[in-house]
Amino acid sequence: MSRRLLRLPAGLRPGPAVVLAVTVAVGTLVALGLRAPATPTNADAGTSAPAPAPQLSGPTLDGGRFDLATARGHVVLVNVFASWCGPCRDELPLLVEAERRWSPHGLRLVGLNVRDGTEAVRALLDETRATGLTVLPDPDGTRSVEWGVRGVPETFVVDRDGRIVERQRGVVTPAWLEQRVAPLLSG
Amino acid sequence: MLGELGTATLAAGLACATLTALAWLRVALFGAPARPARLGAAATLVAAVAACALLETALLRHDFSVRFVAENGGRQVPLYYAVTSLWSALDGSLLLWLLVLAGYAALLAGQRYPARLHAYAMVVVSAVTMFFFALSRFAANPFRPVDPVPADGPGPNPLLQQHPAMGVHPPLLYAGYLGLVVPFALALAAPLAGPEGRRWLRLARPWALAAWATLTAGIGLGAWWSYAVLGWGGYWAWDPVENASLLPWLTATAFLHTALGRAAGRAAWNSTLATASFILVLLGTFLTRSGAVTSVHAFTDSPLGPMLLGFVLLAVVVSTVATGRRTARPARRGAPMLSRPTAVLVNGVLLVTIAAVVLVGTVLPLVSEPLGGVRAAVGPAYYQRTAVPLAVVVLLLAGVTPALRDRARGLRRLAVPGGVALATVALVGLLSRPGLPALTAFGAAAFVLAGLAGQLVDRLRARGRVVGLAGLVAHAGIALVAVGVAGSSAYGRDTEGTIRTGETLRVAGASVRLDGVDRSAGDGGMAVRARLRLTEADGTRRTVTPALRYHPARDATVTVPAIDTGPLRDTYVTLIAVAADSGSATVRLAVNPLVGLLWAGGALTTAGGLVAAVGAARRRRRPPESAGDRRPAPTAGGGQRPASVAAGGPPHSPAAGDPPPPVPAGPGVAG
Amino acid sequence: MRWRAALAVLVLTALAAGAGVGMLRSAGGTGREDRVREVAAGLRCPACQGESVADSQSPIAAAMRQVVADQLAQGRDRAEIRRWFVQRYGPGVLTEPPAHGATALLWAVPALTLLGAGYAAVRTLRPRRAPARAAAARPAPGGHAARRAWWAGAAGLVSLVAAVAVAADRLDRPPDQPPADPVAVTVQLAHDLETQDRYAAAAQLYREALRDRPDDTIRLRLAFALLRAGDAGAAEQTAREVLARTPDSPDGLLVLGLAQRGARSAEAAGTLRRFLAVAPEHPAAPEINRLLSTGS
Repeated sequence: MSRRLLRLPAGLRPGPAVVLAVTVAVGTLVALGLRAPATPTNADAGTSAPAPAPQLSGPTLDGGRFDLATARGHVVLVNVFASWCGPCRDELPLLVEAERRWSPHGLRLVGLNVRDGTEAVRALLDETRATGLTVLPDPDGTRSVEWGVRGVPETFVVDRDGRIVERQRGVVTPAWLEQRVAPLLSG
Repeated sequence: MLGELGTATLAAGLACATLTALAWLRVALFGAPARPARLGAAATLVAAVAACALLETALLRHDFSVRFVAENGGRQVPLYYAVTSLWSALDGSLLLWLLVLAGYAALLAGQRYPARLHAYAMVVVSAVTMFFFALSRFAANPFRPVDPVPADGPGPNPLLQQHPAMGVHPPLLYAGYLGLVVPFALALAAPLAGPEGRRWLRLARPWALAAWATLTAGIGLGAWWSYAVLGWGGYWAWDPVENASLLPWLTATAFLHTALGRAAGRAAWNSTLATASFILVLLGTFLTRSGAVTSVHAFTDSPLGPMLLGFVLLAVVVSTVATGRRTARPARRGAPMLSRPTAVLVNGVLLVTIAAVVLVGTVLPLVSEPLGGVRAAVGPAYYQRTAVPLAVVVLLLAGVTPALRDRARGLRRLAVPGGVALATVALVGLLSRPGLPALTAFGAAAFVLAGLAGQLVDRLRARGRVVGLAGLVAHAGIALVAVGVAGSSAYGRDTEGTIRTGETLRVAGASVRLDGVDRSAGDGGMAVRARLRLTEADGTRRTVTPALRYHPARDATVTVPAIDTGPLRDTYVTLIAVAADSGSATVRLAVNPLVGLLWAGGALTTAGGLVAAVGAARRRRRPPESAGDRRPAPTAGGGQRPASVAAGGPPHSPAAGDPPPPVPAGPGVAG
Repeated sequence: MRWRAALAVLVLTALAAGAGVGMLRSAGGTGREDRVREVAAGLRCPACQGESVADSQSPIAAAMRQVVADQLAQGRDRAEIRRWFVQRYGPGVLTEPPAHGATALLWAVPALTLLGAGYAAVRTLRPRRAPARAAAARPAPGGHAARRAWWAGAAGLVSLVAAVAVAADRLDRPPDQPPADPVAVTVQLAHDLETQDRYAAAAQLYREALRDRPDDTIRLRLAFALLRAGDAGAAEQTAREVLARTPDSPDGLLVLGLAQRGARSAEAAGTLRRFLAVAPEHPAAPEINRLLSTGS
């Protein structure tokens, strides 16, 4: 009796009928999921809630010392770069120029040099006329990982209170500097 | 000019395929003469050949007014890679797909099969061909014009211009994928064809075997490509493209086993597995071709994704309705617990479960987001914990099954292989510590190989013709692959370090000393080579030169590994980075034991499958067919040469490029 | 015969014991416990596609391996290290996210498949009697049914092609959009800055855009921005550059006139009148009229 009640239309056996139902459900789900705009994940969103910047201090390439904690009150651009990275080479002059232009307004630029050789960085700085740049060597890359660096180049903006307010994966553009960094300096 | 001609050819092919499907439907329903329908299949093939030829001509003549050429061609590309760039990107590879599909359709059209079964199967194959022609014409037309016409193109992806195997791998893979359309079509046609439908399984077997063997070769070549050309150090990364090729292989393997012997009792299994295999081919195409898995955004950019998804769903619905009907099934005797039918079904259950594991691992990133979660990621660790143990059990089963055939001696036949397996486990386990999965895999492989050797001896003693040799060879191949996988993952050693000129990097008895770094320009790019003095564990020395090649046209850096292949182990050297002053280099040195067994095993399995396909095609021919089935040989369309049927496709049927596995973002690539 | 069987059993037992020991040894670990590798294999390389930190050759992955090694040396355990990485890279850094929500499917789907297929296998193996009813063989479709099937089949096939054609048209990618025109982006940014009353910065961006694309519409926007930034001299000069090419450009005349007025030049009224003559319908015309009537 119950068998008869369970008989499905079109003479389908229960197994295939289940397959059919599941297929339609999964298909709808996938279709809906793909139609919906992808939620911006942390991975590619430029902005996220400001977080305190990890500490960053140590001897610099030219023998001095740098400590991010003493740079409070400044807006600090932390540029993660390496001599083996082509795009870094291209963006360095832009960053150096930005620091020169905006240092009166409280901008500082520091380069975090990932897995690189001293000679190679010096050559790069000479070539890009960025010899004045404060460079913190990060020979094994652990500092960059501490900062959550995903690739080079990557640039962080640390505000006057020592929080990371912006991060740019890949090269920075004049427009980005204008839009993301300049407002912090005026305020 | 070429562009308009190409678009017109695609439209003509679409019309041909549609008319062919309709013509076969008339044959099936009204018993109309089959000759026009066969001619239609031939015409469709001609259109596919013409479309491919036109795009090749455009590529070779650097006609950059054709979009595909503007995006994937280049004046610097060497002739060979200019030819293979047809399948180096989506739109062009779809043409190759069409060529192979239309080739199979024409081959199947030329067969002398029971009339209605044949006609319905051809309706299905023609409808699939029609869909892909429509896709190519409307959604992914490679012949669309470009304005303004560029002076030069970037050339195909540099990874696809690195090795001549690019000319073979994708075509093989496509031949394997699309060969599964024939069992699919026959399984769908069987319930519609009345009594003659019961013969579908016998007819499908040679096609399935040939497709399976080709697919095996394609997957093996893909793994080899990944290892020898891509230079990331491994051969299998469980990435979506690889998984997509594994899925139909798993279900097709299960199908080949359930279709053996007295398969009548497993009718539902056979039709389900045959249809599932091709549906998984379509699903894999959707997953990898639409960009849905790597990036959701790519999906909405191309109309291809939604359409392929729609077609997959349509195929599932149609095949479920067609094969899932309530039919009267013949009576069946119960089988004893330990019998071949049991083993075959357990094998089927396990393979289907492995397929489910791979499928859910591949699809999850896609569905986890709409389900409210974040975009979940599935790594190799998941597969190692799920698919690998199941695969070891499947392997063990392959060793047990032959003994079940011989009821009289039964389990006693397992004594010797069992002893060999236990001895292997004891010996390997006591001498080294490869880890539990690898150790059981060694044991299972020894079990299978010893059992196969026993069978071979038995058959040679019987002095008759050695029957079933193909099966023995194929299973031996699988066992060797298992040993290769287990050995290379358990005993592989690698190290990585930055060394200055004159310094040495060592691992597992092998060492490399940096002699120097050379830079050179040419071939449309720059190359950095490290000259390294390699000393192997056995003391032999030679110079190896792994390289990094930079292709400015695509702004991509490609790693070219140096592999020193030995009988028992490979020494694998890759260059990771070079200091700007050329004074030091970062090098990865790996010793990969037993990798050679993978390639040997893959080759054996393929060979076994092909021989079995030829055998199955012959066997099918031997029992005289009823006179009613005989039809005059077609003058056009697929030939009737049995050999080419058995081989599963036109000898030079090519296929499209799955840009193979993971491409590590090299230095200088933004994250 | 019997002693041979006994011997066989003995040998097999001994081998089984050996194998058992071997397995136990292996179960204890592989003897080359690479804890760094083990933890690194559970992390996804952020700079690559689908590779774990253990396998990737990218420099960031190498640095991450170093971090894992350092932290292990400090005595932190796997879970702590994973948490450390999640804090910095988000949950996407784990190759195996913790089981919750959708990830439960990873285990549920294979388990259900195993159960379902196993049940089907058991049913297949169970003996079955022939059904009481005679097999309802589907008869070859007769004339009427066949015709119906024909029309249905034909309609289905044709509608499949039609569906693809229609859907392709609707879903087609936007016609060959070049990947973001940098000049357009710059102009847009400058425009945004203008709405925030930051005219000097906007003018700077317009200058940059002009360097890449000397275009009079951008030049006019630059002139307006300069005017609002209070740099009347530069605005006048820019407007003159535009007017040199198109002497009757209404916007050019407008900016020039306003700039001259800002510089208290005597020519201002004349220029603005010309503007009114060229473009009486211009949105700014009433305002200019008012200016002229009150000012002169």
